[in-house]
Amino acid sequence: MRIILTLLRKDFSHVLRDKAALSLTFIVPLVLIYVFGQIFGANRTDSGPTGIPLAVVNASGNPAAAQLVDALKAEKSFRVLTKYVNSDQTERPLTEADLRPMMRGNDFRFALVIPADLVRETEFGLHLKILSNPRNEVETQLINGLLQKTIFSNVPQLLGQSLQAQARRYIGASRLEKFNRSMAENVARNFGGDPERIFSDIQKGQWNLGSSVGSAGGGTTDFFSRVVRIEQEQVIGKEVKSPMATRSVGGWAMQFLLFALTASAASLFYEKQQGLFQRLLSSPVTRAHILWSKFLYGVCLGLVQLVVLFVAGRFMFGIEVEHHLGLLVLVCGFAAAACTSFGMLLAAISPSPEAARGLGTMLILTMSAIGGAWFPISIMPELMQHLSKLTLVYWSMEGFQQVLWANATLGELCPTLGILAAMTAATMALALWCFNRGKLFD
Amino acid sequence: MTMTSGEAIALALGSNRSLHWRNPTVTTVLMLTLDHLTKRYGTLTALDDISLTIKPGEFFGLLGPNGAGKSTLMSLVAGLRAPEAGRITLNGKPLSVAEASSRAGLGLVPQSVALYPELSADQNLRIFGELYGLHGTLLKTRIDEALVAVQLADRRHDQVKTFSGGMQRRLNLVAALLHRPKLLLCDEPTVGIDPQSRNAIFDFLEARAREGLTVIYSTHYMEEATRLCSRIAIIDHGRILALGTLDELLAQLPFEEEIRFPAREETLALAAQLPAWGEFITADGVHRFRPRADCKLSEFFALTESLGLPPRLFTSQRPTLEALFLHLTGRNLRE
Ligand SMILES: Nc1ncnc2c1ncn2[C@@H]1O[C@H](COP(=O)(O)OP(=O)(O)OP(=O)(O)O)[C@@H](O)[C@H]1O
Ligand SMILES: [Mg+2]
Repeated sequence: MRIILTLLRKDFSHVLRDKAALSLTFIVPLVLIYVFGQIFGANRTDSGPTGIPLAVVNASGNPAAAQLVDALKAEKSFRVLTKYVNSDQTERPLTEADLRPMMRGNDFRFALVIPADLVRETEFGLHLKILSNPRNEVETQLINGLLQKTIFSNVPQLLGQSLQAQARRYIGASRLEKFNRSMAENVARNFGGDPERIFSDIQKGQWNLGSSVGSAGGGTTDFFSRVVRIEQEQVIGKEVKSPMATRSVGGWAMQFLLFALTASAASLFYEKQQGLFQRLLSSPVTRAHILWSKFLYGVCLGLVQLVVLFVAGRFMFGIEVEHHLGLLVLVCGFAAAACTSFGMLLAAISPSPEAARGLGTMLILTMSAIGGAWFPISIMPELMQHLSKLTLVYWSMEGFQQVLWANATLGELCPTLGILAAMTAATMALALWCFNRGKLFD
Repeated sequence: MTMTSGEAIALALGSNRSLHWRNPTVTTVLMLTLDHLTKRYGTLTALDDISLTIKPGEFFGLLGPNGAGKSTLMSLVAGLRAPEAGRITLNGKPLSVAEASSRAGLGLVPQSVALYPELSADQNLRIFGELYGLHGTLLKTRIDEALVAVQLADRRHDQVKTFSGGMQRRLNLVAALLHRPKLLLCDEPTVGIDPQSRNAIFDFLEARAREGLTVIYSTHYMEEATRLCSRIAIIDHGRILALGTLDELLAQLPFEEEIRFPAREETLALAAQLPAWGEFITADGVHRFRPRADCKLSEFFALTESLGLPPRLFTSQRPTLEALFLHLTGRNLRE
């Protein structure tokens, strides 16, 4: 142990001597969390994208269509364009003919056309057209989802109009009126309100009965949302102040840590090149001493860097670290140990520092992607979701989430820490085995 | 295996209970034995069936050209590598790579400078001292002594990477001596060191040797081997070609005198006749002639005069280790 501590102190003197390395140790996590935070908008308390350009052409005179456009304009994810700017700076409404050339000119990648026959006389249903340039899969899915959400929340009214028009065609105006009246009476009986007003709303196809059906919420509560009532309850993380940053910080931290600690393990190559192993190994130092001291150094370094990272996250993005400090440091320690062991294994199997760096970059990026540091695991294929659980990134992130997001207790954290410890032990055992056979000490 | 009392005492060397090895009762004990050592790197045989015995207090020289196997031999003794065949015993105890404690009485000065360049001289020595269990004032005094000995006391707080090559080598040397090893392995420690510093190092090592340190010193400078070593092994291609004290080695040279002259057009006729008169070798554009014992030098010079060759072309020399190496291998030591 004395030998390991001496070697460990050597590594610390080294980094203390090297002012550049020392400042990088602290500055890199700071810069990193700042940049990542800005990229992902970690300061916002709500999530999702904003300001995606969306061209909207409204050729329909239907008031409900104008309402849909307004609803799209109100959606903060979109920046709705309805005007075409001529070369003399005058504006005119966009037409469908403008859209395709403009999309080719990359003015926008999504457009919604509300045609004149939005509600057709001849068939039931609505007619809408979405033009897209699906350059980015995730973005496209996201936009389509948002468009559908906005359209469907405005659809009842339009569907009502379509329904009324069809009914009039098939059963005749007088019979429809009779039907509508009995509907109105039924609605009034069950939900309250004035049957006359409900009747006139239904006649106009306005199923948005909120105003006519007497209710405390007034016009904002629409009829459909009363028929299908969905209650939403956020069970976990409700009290988290900075959800965006809190959710993603673990992933950033892991990736950063893996790179930092792999580099530190690769410093074994540097010591080899300096011929230092000859001197060390001809003294009472063994290979295992060297490796364990490097391991401990990696864990300490990783721990310090993670703590810096989280403290910076606290001040920059309000991630609440202070409530869980003890457990957070614990998870940081286990995560750092797992990352260090990974770095050691990498050094053990690589013939040269260049190989270690190349292999490391590849493995780290793969592991981060599979482990869920980049995007949610739930969107990956099922096989990947299983593979994910084999990565130390997954379990470290799980640990961070448990502490920061779910307020886990030490008991709840134990299985995750146990898995991280087991991974560390297995990786270190393999690394030691490889080191004892490898060329590093030759 | 039975053990003599001397071996038993020697076995205890390095531990606190041990008698100092210079205790008269143990002077006959063999300290380090290499027993039929063979070391291969892939297909290359770097050491080929080497057997050696190095006695306590000896200043043992390994003299050989590049690639002879000197560093390989050092690394085996230092426990850095395991031999393919044969064994090494230190004080009768087998030396194994796995057993770190068996290396406590050993100091290695690696051929290349092995120091932490980012750290100061002081920090380096501190680390290496601590690895051997030194600490506190003892460590401090040892470091002070070491730095004074190699004239680096005023640079002690500077980073090693700011040192000149020679300064680094001097530090490299004393870093192996802090724990007062019983056996010091010096692998070409003076490469790149200026003559004054080199002499200082020699004085320093000789002083340590007088105090009882056993040294194995590898070099391809025969001057160093001649000055320092009480016994010398000449090795080449992983084999020991000759072994003994300087006098014993030189006695292997069949001639007291050697005459050299340049290999040129004008000396061709002379060169053609000389093989009949004694041993005649040509290397590096120089003819070397060692006349047989019954050959008279007067006859030789009569011949040169008759061929019209001026006396200044001829130099005669005392036999040297270099000459011995040439004699043994037909090559120069520093080819
Ligand atoms: N790590 C190694 N891998 C493969 N071959 C090696 C290795 N180390 C040494 N050798 C080979 O073993 C032979 C002996 O090398 P060694 O370093 O022992 O020579 P040396 O006498 O110390 O030479 P020098 O005076 O140049 O230091 C050489 O042919 C060398 O190429
Ligand atoms: Mg060598």
